[in-house]
Formats: sequence, structure tokens, C-alpha cells
Amino acid sequence: MFENMLDSYAHYNNLRNMNTYFKVLFSILTMIMSLISTSPVVPSIIAVFMSALILLKAKTPWRFYLKFLLIPFSFALLTFIFMAIFFGVGAHVLELGIFNLAVTQDGFNLGLLVFARIMGGFTCLAFLALTTPMNELFKTLEIVKMPKIILELAMLMYRYIFVFLDEAINMYHAQETRLGYSSLKKSLNSLGMLASNLFIKTWLKGEQAYMAMESRCYDGSIKTMKKTESIKDIGARNLALLVLFEVFLVSVVYFTANFRVF
Amino acid sequence: MNVIETKDITYSYPDGTLALKDVEFNASKGKIIALLGPNGAGKSTLFLHFNGILKPNKGTVRVNGEPLKYDKEGLMKVRQKVGIVFQNPDDQLFAPTVMEDVAFGPMNIGLPDEEVEKRVKESLERVGMEGMENKAPHHLSGGQKKRVAIAGILAMRPEIMVLDEPTSGLDPKGASQIMHLLYQLNQEGMTIVISTHDVDLVPLYAYNVYIISEGKIIKEGSPLKVFEDVETIRGANLRLPRIAHLMEILEKEDKLPFDKPYPLTIGEARRSILKEFDDKG
Ligand SMILES: Nc1ncnc2c1ncn2[C@@H]1O[C@H](COP(=O)(O)OP(=O)(O)OP(=O)(O)O)[C@@H](O)[C@H]1O
Ligand SMILES: [Mg+2]
Repeated sequence: MFENMLDSYAHYNNLRNMNTYFKVLFSILTMIMSLISTSPVVPSIIAVFMSALILLKAKTPWRFYLKFLLIPFSFALLTFIFMAIFFGVGAHVLELGIFNLAVTQDGFNLGLLVFARIMGGFTCLAFLALTTPMNELFKTLEIVKMPKIILELAMLMYRYIFVFLDEAINMYHAQETRLGYSSLKKSLNSLGMLASNLFIKTWLKGEQAYMAMESRCYDGSIKTMKKTESIKDIGARNLALLVLFEVFLVSVVYFTANFRVF
Repeated sequence: MNVIETKDITYSYPDGTLALKDVEFNASKGKIIALLGPNGAGKSTLFLHFNGILKPNKGTVRVNGEPLKYDKEGLMKVRQKVGIVFQNPDDQLFAPTVMEDVAFGPMNIGLPDEEVEKRVKESLERVGMEGMENKAPHHLSGGQKKRVAIAGILAMRPEIMVLDEPTSGLDPKGASQIMHLLYQLNQEGMTIVISTHDVDLVPLYAYNVYIISEGKIIKEGSPLKVFEDVETIRGANLRLPRIAHLMEILEKEDKLPFDKPYPLTIGEARRSILKEFDDKG
């Protein structure tokens, strides 16, 4: 399962033990650079750099990474094609020969920019998703004063998503074994039963889990130990590197502001 | 002295299922007590009464001689004394990492962070799960989840540990490791109550056995005494331990001179067979 694999890679990669706040800060700042850039140069640099980090540093298998990128890539490509053909006026750079369609100059430039931004931004997200387990990401939200109750809910949801995913897969296989998906009508029927069953199970599991928590003196709020890592542990060296890198990106953004392919 | 004592408790679930009928169950201090019963007999339901998760419709539960108080304070107190390990570890493990889960109980008691950390480390070592602190529960095997669930209760240092089917779903080695751990804890003074349908394991460890069937306790006593009553055991959809069954067959079919109470463990059987040979020869 894709979700399980994503979670596994997030847990077991070579950048897992890097300070979470550092990773979050790094990807968010870099993503902002990708978004403020008015030329495709910086987003492209970012996409390449982030991919290199993910593949060479974190050592995420490239097959999985490609699969991970496939959806945003297809989306970005479609956007690009669409914009290049239907957007903007101005000089034609390529006549398509049907319906009088042509790729226009600013259409192409705009499409390319959007394409680069999507890929740049997405690789930043991918870096976070592939090197940091979800629950650690939640914890960093505390620093922006996210209410505790939301964090607790997120934590419980994160845990039980996998329990129910397992449950759903098992039920699905059990139905498949008994030919529950052999025709469209049966499929719809089976899927309906699976969904309603899962709902009831969720309810019962919730009750059980609550009992188990009560047994351990749960009083309505989940207390956690003091943070094992904090934003202060990023370290001067890492912080300096981060600042340098972002300053470098900002200056490239500035100097390539008017760069166009056509 | 009885650390847990239930008197005539009756409980029916909101849907009307009568799960317990006049159950009398006593666990004496420092012993291992086994609750034996088939599926649906009411084992889990009974256990949930021991720390006040469920409140009986009728009858009383006493812990250390005091009747349970079902107010917030009373429940907090009893839950520190009586730790329950749930049948399905997925119900119990809710935190994103092993460490956070084991720390949950001690944090709720209000212990300082250093103490919690110490206890987490100790408990995980006890169950042989050290080095797994940062793993997510959904990346653990069934047996490992069970160990973490036990560690989560151990870390609260309860006087009485109640385990709902601690060996179900484990391979033979895993099961005997868990039982060995429980035996050790018991040697250190902890009272242990387990439910199971593994009749072969019970006689090895239990001091006292209760048989529950359809919500009623139908037999109680030492393993030897309980398994002597073959009809009751079979009537409750349980069976004799393999060894006892073999001795029964040898007596009934082959007319060998083994008599009730049948030996329940390999050691006891060996002794009585050797004795037979010696007497003859
Ligand atoms: N939440 C519930 N609502 C209604 N009935 C229930 C509920 N939980 C259990 N029961 C019923 O109560 C009876 C006792 O169930 P219990 O779970 O205590 O059995 P058990 O001895 O633990 O069985 P097992 O060995 O399968 O775990 C069963 O008949 C069961 O169907
Ligand atoms: Mg049960």
C-alpha cells in the first residue's frame, strides 16, 4: 500500500534524525522562494536540489520517489500544455496546424513558470513527507500555538488510520475471496457493506480504545514528556547554512526576475 | 488476603446481553490466578470490573478489602493499583511511538519527566523491547505489540496486573517468554490475574483456577482439583491439558493404573510413570 510505504520511508531514512524544526523551516522557506520567483529558474534549481537531497541524502528509493512525483508531474504538465495553447496573446512560437491553435509566447512563458513552481513547491513538500514522520510534523505545530486538542486529535487519527487501513484491506480481501467484486453491481454492494461495517468497527474500536486509555488514568488530556528536541537544537552551523542557502535563492530570484525562454 | 474480591456481581450490556451472573472471584495476594473460559464466556467483561471501567448492576468489587468508589478520585486510585493489559493490543496502543505509549500511564499519574523516562526504559527492557522506542506501533508485529502493551502497564508499577489473554496470537516461544516474564514479576511480589483458553499453560503457573462459562463461575480451585472434574471441563467447551488427557486414555483404554487427579505437566507425569515402573520392578 502506498500510504504504508510512504509512512515507512518517513520513519526509516537517513535524514530521519535531523532536527524536525530544521527540516520544516528549510522546506517552508524554500517553498516560499519557489513561489515568489517570477522566472522558472529558481523553482527548477529547487526541484533539482530537493530531489538530490531526497535521493542521495535521505536515500529514498528512486522508484518510489518517481511514483510519488508522478501525480503532481502529470498535473503540472497538463497545466503547462493548457496554458501554453489557450493562454495569452502575442507572437506565435509554434503553429499546431489544427483549429488555428498555436503556442503563444506569453502563454508558453506563463505555463513554464507555473509548471516550475508546482514542481519546485511539490519537491519541498516531498522532502518533508519522505523524511519526517507525520506525528513529528504535528508536534512542530505547537510552536505556532496550535490548540492542544487539535494536536491530540491529529495524533490519535494518525495512529488509527493505519489500524483501519489494515482492517479495510482485510475486509476487502475477504470480500474478494468470495467474489464480491465480480460485477459492477456486486462491487457497489460489497463496497457499501465494507463502508458501513468499517463505520461500525470504528465506533466500537473507539470505545475499546477509550476504555484502555481510562484504565491508564486518562483524564481528558494527553500529557507528553518535555520535548526531546527543540527549535534551539538546530545549531549555529545548520542555521548559517540555511540562511546562506535562502539568501542565495533570493538573489537568484532577483537577478533572474526577467528571464524568459522566449 | 484477597487483593481483588468480587461478590455476586451481575452485569448486562446495554443491549440486554447478560454477560455476568452472580460472579464471585477472589485473587489472593502474591499469587497467579487464571480465569479459564471459552469464547464469549465473559472473561473480558469480568476484568473490566476490576478497575471500575464497568460498574456491576448488582454486587460489589473490592480491591485490597475496600469497596470500589466510582468517583473520579476513587477510580484514579484503583487504576494505579490494578493495571489491565487489554486483549487486543491495537485497542491499547494509541500513541504514534512506542516510547510515548509506554509513557502515557506514568505521565497521567503525574510523575516527573525523569522518573517517567526511567520507568519507560526499565519496562521496555523487561519485555525485551529496548531499542524500539521510536518505532510506530503499526510497524510492530503482533507479538511485539503485546509486549509494548505489557510494558505500558508495567511502567505504572501496579500492585496487581490483569492480563486478558496474554498469550493469544503468539508463537510458542513468544507465549512462554511472556509467561516467564509474568512468573518473574510474580516472584517479585506482584499479583497476576490472567484469562486464557490455553489449558496446557495454566497448570504450569497458576496457583488457583476459575472456570467461567456463560457468565457464571462453574468451578474454582487448584489446577489439580479443577482438572479432576473432567465432565465440567468438557461441558464448558474446554479440554484437559494434553498430558492429563493422555493419562486418562492410558487409564480408561489401556487399564494402566493411573488414577485421578491426573498429572497436568510433563514433570508430574514423568514422576508418576517412573513410580509405576519402580513399583513393578
Ligand atoms: N459491548 C458489548 N455489547 C453487548 N454485548 C457484549 C459486548 N461485549 C461483549 N458482549 C457479550 O458479552 C458476552 C461476554 O463477552 P466477553 O467479551 O466478556 O467474552 P470473553 O470471555 O472475553 O470472550 P473471548 O474469549 O472471545 O474474548 C458475550 O456474549 C458477548 O457477546
Ligand atoms: Mg475477551
